[in-house]
Amino acid sequence: MKANLFLIAAALSIATHAVTAESATETVHYYSEAVRCNAKLFTPSNHGASSSASAVVLAPGQGETRASIESVAEALATRGIVALAIDYRGWGECGGFLYFGEPVRWDDRMRFAQLTTTMRIRRLRIDPKAQVIDVRNAITFLQSVPGVDRARIGVWGVGLSGGHAIVTAGSDARVKSVVAQHPLLAGKGEPRAAFAPTPQQQTMMIELARTGAPADNRAAKAMNANEATVALAEYKPYWYLEQIPQTTSVLLIAENSQASAADSAVKLLKGTSSVLKIEKARRAEATNAAVEWFTSNL
Amino acid sequence: MAIMKVAQALLPQDNRFDRNGEYTMSSYRRCRVAIAICALFAASSAFAQINTDIIEKHRADLAKQGSDPEMKRDATQPRDWNYDLPQGVTTRLVTFYVGGGTALHGKMFLPRGFSTKGSWPAVIVGHGINALSIGIEKYAARFADRGLVAMAIDYQSYGFSQSGSDDIRLLEPDPTTDANAVTDKHMRIVMKRTNLNNAQEVNDFRAAISFLQGEPGIDPDRIGIWGSSNGGAIVIAVSAVDARVKACVAQVIGTRPVPRRPVAISEANMEDAITRVRTGQGAETEAGFSFRTYVDRWYLTRNQDVQPGAWLDQIPQTNHVLFIPAEKDELTRGDSGNVEAAKFLTERGVTAQVATLPDLTHFQAYSYTGFEVGSTLAADWFLKYLGTGSAR
Repeated sequence: MKANLFLIAAALSIATHAVTAESATETVHYYSEAVRCNAKLFTPSNHGASSSASAVVLAPGQGETRASIESVAEALATRGIVALAIDYRGWGECGGFLYFGEPVRWDDRMRFAQLTTTMRIRRLRIDPKAQVIDVRNAITFLQSVPGVDRARIGVWGVGLSGGHAIVTAGSDARVKSVVAQHPLLAGKGEPRAAFAPTPQQQTMMIELARTGAPADNRAAKAMNANEATVALAEYKPYWYLEQIPQTTSVLLIAENSQASAADSAVKLLKGTSSVLKIEKARRAEATNAAVEWFTSNL
Repeated sequence: MAIMKVAQALLPQDNRFDRNGEYTMSSYRRCRVAIAICALFAASSAFAQINTDIIEKHRADLAKQGSDPEMKRDATQPRDWNYDLPQGVTTRLVTFYVGGGTALHGKMFLPRGFSTKGSWPAVIVGHGINALSIGIEKYAARFADRGLVAMAIDYQSYGFSQSGSDDIRLLEPDPTTDANAVTDKHMRIVMKRTNLNNAQEVNDFRAAISFLQGEPGIDPDRIGIWGSSNGGAIVIAVSAVDARVKACVAQVIGTRPVPRRPVAISEANMEDAITRVRTGQGAETEAGFSFRTYVDRWYLTRNQDVQPGAWLDQIPQTNHVLFIPAEKDELTRGDSGNVEAAKFLTERGVTAQVATLPDLTHFQAYSYTGFEVGSTLAADWFLKYLGTGSAR
């Protein structure tokens, strides 16, 4: 039994620093705001501190963790691109959102107060704006990896995180290339305007502002659902397309019914851009296209 | 000259300009009429959304405040924060939540005759850069004296409000997994204060709106917001992202219309950005005016995510925006940014007005005649566009 555990432990330690013929992986950590996150870094086999490689952040889709996207990261690394597959705060191997579980006091003259107290840690929240900040912090981490060319950074996303990739490119000038697979294109056909919540959404917002961090799992899940409903209702990646600079290249991979929305979206882009239409089932084709896009545009 | 100045400030609201900034023939005619009327009736133009006679009436006092060495200000001082609670106005301390459970502080000022069975308009009052609500409570008190419900708030990590998730770092591993949506654990932590983050301040304002909408006696469809200095930038940003706002007053802040732009990180800030993600804490710098503390130097980059001047086109016609700049504002360089913003909004059919406080510098707006005139104009604006309360 002991020997078995030892073998498992040995296997795990290899897993955190595995080398294949074409790429190596490593579990790394960085902080998104004050929350510690683990992520998986894929580096080409010939990568070293003196390299000058392009690099891509890969962000998981809605309700997913990085396991769902590691194959794309690996495919990029085998083609010479450093790739970082991340989790968002409150998901997978990222720490949770932090709240006080009991009263605390402070004095603003003391900027950093250390204490022990009951923390209430929330997970599985979907906050698109916070997730975009996670992607941007991951970009910063990637820029600090030895052998990465800071000027050649890309972002890859799928579904909701395809929307994040567009939003990140429209809000952060460091992004030079984007692949958005089956991206959330909410905001299409709506003029850019302040969010006007429906009566039902307004009721949720009132309840959220009048309720502290929930104490039990059931209440926490209900609150997660309401938060996500409101946050997604006002999240409009489509509005960010026209903010993407001419120097950023964008590939939109449209699946099935999304083709016409992607055709409209690409017209708003100033730089090198393209739409690839595929059947949803053919995700390997999408991965190949993403690899080709980053290889030729970064 | 002052008349012409006011006339200039008023003009953009009353004339539509075409996209190239040229007058159309009809607007040119109306423009000349406006100048003529302004000249005839001094500042009390019939074209103004609210009457600004009070500025002319206090012109001499404002000029005195602008030149008296005793009333010179590089920041507000604690003596500027004091106020007498108006007769009949009552206060109530409240807690509301933002970002999934961070407790924020609000001090509500309830007007004479307020009843939870009635229907009152309500205004949220937010402080400037690296400041505290105690410095601007007197505006909330004044608004309540004029019949509005008003609530002064501290942003997260300031004053009586808790630090948010962005400001709390665990000093031991986070034990939670996706098996549970919430976990309580006694832990060693470091709690950061005064983390200046405009994006979070926008969220704080919006949480305050939600809180007030659920408050008995408050009409959820008559919520206004007031902000001064950097708080003025925040209220414009909130107006651009939240259509629940029906009236907005931005005092002493430039909000010149600019194009949207992705945020670039300067070479100097890049190493700090890396330190932040590698360690959880970047470099500090001193900030603020009336209340100086250290803050994360990163705020200079992060706050660029909030772009009020670029978001003006998102403000709906159901909102109404008043700018109260100070003529000799050393930080915003006067009122030209507001005049441009009001013109931009007016062209889009949003009611907007500029009422410039003559002779005053930035921090003089908060005291003496500057406070009297500025708070009166703001209250007039809110009463005009939110209406008055009724006990039913």
